[in-house]
Amino acid sequence: MPELPDLDPVIHGKLRLAVLSLLVGVEEADFTWLRDKTASTDGNLGAQMMKLEEAGYVSMQKQFAGRKPQTLYRMTPVGRKALAKYVAALKTLLGAAL
Amino acid sequence: MANFKTEDGTTRDDLVQRVALMEEMIAEGRRSTICFGWIFVLWGLIDLAPIGWQLAVPHSDWVDIWSWPIAIACGFAIQILVMAIRRRRSGVVCSSMRGRSISAVWAMMGLTAMLYFAGAMVAHKSGPIAFTAAMLMFVGMAHGTSAMILRWRAQGIVACVWWIGGVALFFLSNRYWLQVFVGEMCFGMIGFGLYAMWLERRNSSAEGQTNA
Repeated sequence: MPELPDLDPVIHGKLRLAVLSLLVGVEEADFTWLRDKTASTDGNLGAQMMKLEEAGYVSMQKQFAGRKPQTLYRMTPVGRKALAKYVAALKTLLGAAL
Repeated sequence: MANFKTEDGTTRDDLVQRVALMEEMIAEGRRSTICFGWIFVLWGLIDLAPIGWQLAVPHSDWVDIWSWPIAIACGFAIQILVMAIRRRRSGVVCSSMRGRSISAVWAMMGLTAMLYFAGAMVAHKSGPIAFTAAMLMFVGMAHGTSAMILRWRAQGIVACVWWIGGVALFFLSNRYWLQVFVGEMCFGMIGFGLYAMWLERRNSSAEGQTNA
């Protein structure tokens, strides 16, 4: 029997997976938008974004929109590659379960 | 269908849930970047305004010359203002390549049309039929390109209506150009914009139900 692939633990977390899935379709998105779309809290999302940043899957940029501070996130090429690998692993695992 | 458990305790149901979550979030990201219906309604009204102005103040050279430039300038000012207010209210930045492609198509269509009309007016080589037909063709081209990017059949049909109007102008009697222009603006701009706004509202209410 072929060996089943491992799922990337950084991506596998539900909130982190939701964030990456949102970011994959957009060029960049700010923290507020991500928080609203994932219905998460500031603290939880902040912690998960830090993990994604440490893994090199997202990049963060702080700026001001008028006088309002804004934190923008975008997915890195490494993140896109990792997500594609995760999806392929999911397919293999689900295929194996049929 | 067999169930299984990986070494870290992940089951098949967990994986199915992850797939569903990804699909939902990707669709959500797409929906959120699409909010443009009001722009069509705005420009439909802006393009009808000079016609109404000229009808209200007939035989005025000043109105004939300046009604269009003033209306177009007002259109840009209103669009920029409303976009800034919406962005400030939502406090959200979210752009996609697809959204930027569509914006680029419309922006370049607007620039092309402006150069065409300005050149024709300055050179005094303008006529209502050539003007209107060109405008209908430009708008049809932008709708058609956008429809291809979005793979949206409804917008493709709207593009065809603009093109048909543009071609028809060359075969109809001159006295029908105004009817064709007003008809296209009402259907292809205001009507289409209202339809797009309805779709956006429907999607956002579906999103509210999902999040509730």
